[in-house]
Amino acid sequence: MKSGEFFPIPSYKLAQSLLLVLMSEVQRRKYSQEEKNAIFDGEFMPHIDSMYNFAYRLTFDEDDAKDLVQDTYLKAYRFINSFEQGTNAKAWLFRILKNSFINEYRKKSKQPAKVDYQEVETYYNSDDVHYQSTTDLRAESVKDMLGDEISNALNSLAVDFRTVIILCDLEGFTYEEMAKILDIPIGTVRSRLHRARNLLKEKLQGYAQDMGYNTDEEEE
Amino acid sequence: MEMNEETSGKRKMQCSDENKCFELLESILDGDLKDSGKEVLKEKLAKCQPCFEHYHLEQAIRDVLKTKCTKQAVPTELADCIRQKIQDIK
Repeated sequence: MKSGEFFPIPSYKLAQSLLLVLMSEVQRRKYSQEEKNAIFDGEFMPHIDSMYNFAYRLTFDEDDAKDLVQDTYLKAYRFINSFEQGTNAKAWLFRILKNSFINEYRKKSKQPAKVDYQEVETYYNSDDVHYQSTTDLRAESVKDMLGDEISNALNSLAVDFRTVIILCDLEGFTYEEMAKILDIPIGTVRSRLHRARNLLKEKLQGYAQDMGYNTDEEEE
Repeated sequence: MEMNEETSGKRKMQCSDENKCFELLESILDGDLKDSGKEVLKEKLAKCQPCFEHYHLEQAIRDVLKTKCTKQAVPTELADCIRQKIQDIK
């Protein structure tokens, strides 16, 4: 006769749930006040610069960026027990910031919700990308561009495309870290990045043409 | 890169599999393919003009993004403000 016939919950499951209760207890009390302070000052605060710049590039507004960073740090403190000391604090903080932006800022935003073709395309066609040369833009013209031109081109991209470029190129996150920050599969990270950079190239090519750079293929 | 300029005439002008090659090149540039990618990269850049050009354009774009994008200075009061709020909820 099996134990399951006497007890509504099999014994191994009982042990498992006990363990879970114990674990969450440990989880809740994981860090002492001193440890919390040390993590906050030593692992969280050093990223304030990157966090603020990310927030600013999402909101384009100083006050909104400040609020977003502040909210993120308060959340990070409240949920500090779910942070594993020594793991990637920056990625953890960026994930909180990005979620706060989506859940709160975007909702609060007075801008009417608009259907963004680029974003729709990302979701419906996400991993299927054809890699090909889409531009006559040349490396030399890119190297000659001004910081403001690069920034403006980046800022003109839809938020999802802007975000992957910020995370990858400005902040140096790996595909794997980006997948965790954005809650999307690595394949989608890769294809979204590729699309984002192609869109960026189109903008940069526009600037290059305005400046009179030769963007055509040179003769051999 | 400079070392390859004079040999550019020897590269083939058409890439037989742009889709696969470019995806690979971009993964290498993003640091997603490390050791295994390096040999393949060397070969591609030496033999294929479209791969060579694509690689250098992609590299230039990553470089300018990394080095030239204007940075916002963090408002001086922000860190203190955060610490104060944390004190309040402790």
